[in-house]
Amino acid sequence: MKQLLSIYVFYRPFILWSLGVSFLFSIIGYNLIPIFIIKLVLIVFLWYLLANTSGSKKFIFYKNLGISNLKLFSSIFFIDICLNLPILLIFKEFV
Amino acid sequence: MILEIDNIELYFKNKRILNGIYLKAETGKVTGILGVNGSGKTSLLYIVFGCLQPKYKLIRIDNKPILKPLYLTNKIGFLTQHHFIPRNIKIKSVFLLFNISWEDFNKKFNALNINKHSIFSTLSGGERRLVETFVILKSNKKIVLLDEPFSHIAPVYIETIKRLITELKKDKVIIITDHLYRHFMDVSDDLYLIKDGHSEFIKNTKELEDYKYLSLGTIS
Repeated sequence: MKQLLSIYVFYRPFILWSLGVSFLFSIIGYNLIPIFIIKLVLIVFLWYLLANTSGSKKFIFYKNLGISNLKLFSSIFFIDICLNLPILLIFKEFV
Repeated sequence: MILEIDNIELYFKNKRILNGIYLKAETGKVTGILGVNGSGKTSLLYIVFGCLQPKYKLIRIDNKPILKPLYLTNKIGFLTQHHFIPRNIKIKSVFLLFNISWEDFNKKFNALNINKHSIFSTLSGGERRLVETFVILKSNKKIVLLDEPFSHIAPVYIETIKRLITELKKDKVIIITDHLYRHFMDVSDDLYLIKDGHSEFIKNTKELEDYKYLSLGTIS
């Protein structure tokens, strides 16, 4: 539970960006699966970006809690899907 | 618990940073690592923690080789030189995540007047450093790596941190590195000097002058 809370701390600044991306591609006409594939690519890109810049320092906090980078980013992806899926399903009903 | 670090060889591109490192740290003792700037002390701590992959390394805990990064075992805490706690987290959440008593912190640093409901970024650099040091020391980790724990901290709190280190070493393996030599010597039981990529066990502090880590006459 505590690990989940710490992963949420990492994910929190990206929530609005993530919703924005979901709505944007939804309006363009993408289905759910392509949207989630795009998000997976974006998360891998974010991982690459942070790991190869001074942003990698941010990972020490999570590693001190026993969370590896793989666990951190895969958890973010699944949390993101769980959060976005119902919102997108409702959104698609109206658009 | 005995932690042994052996046979470390680290290169950055073609530059050799560390080779021929052996270091033994055990519960009940504070193991200090000394070395001039750029000697590889911080890199060594990153290797032990599991964040930096050297060409060769051998890490043993109680004679058993540890093949995965140590942080994945959840036995190790690392206080880095830079602030490692995210800026956007509430202070009380940090204490919750590391399972540490806020009251305990308040008792030790009551003059600080920190509100536990505030966001971490509202603290000054020194206050952040204090909270981070306290959190790493008091967490349930059996191995603690402290990279310059006395930097940016007021003298009165340095004494508190030193007392805390001395108190907690009974249950933890503590490895420390710092340039504030006097404070460092006060808490360290075993000393290693990193010079030219090698580690030297220091039996007598006078040797630090021989190895030119200290100026002649520093130790009277």
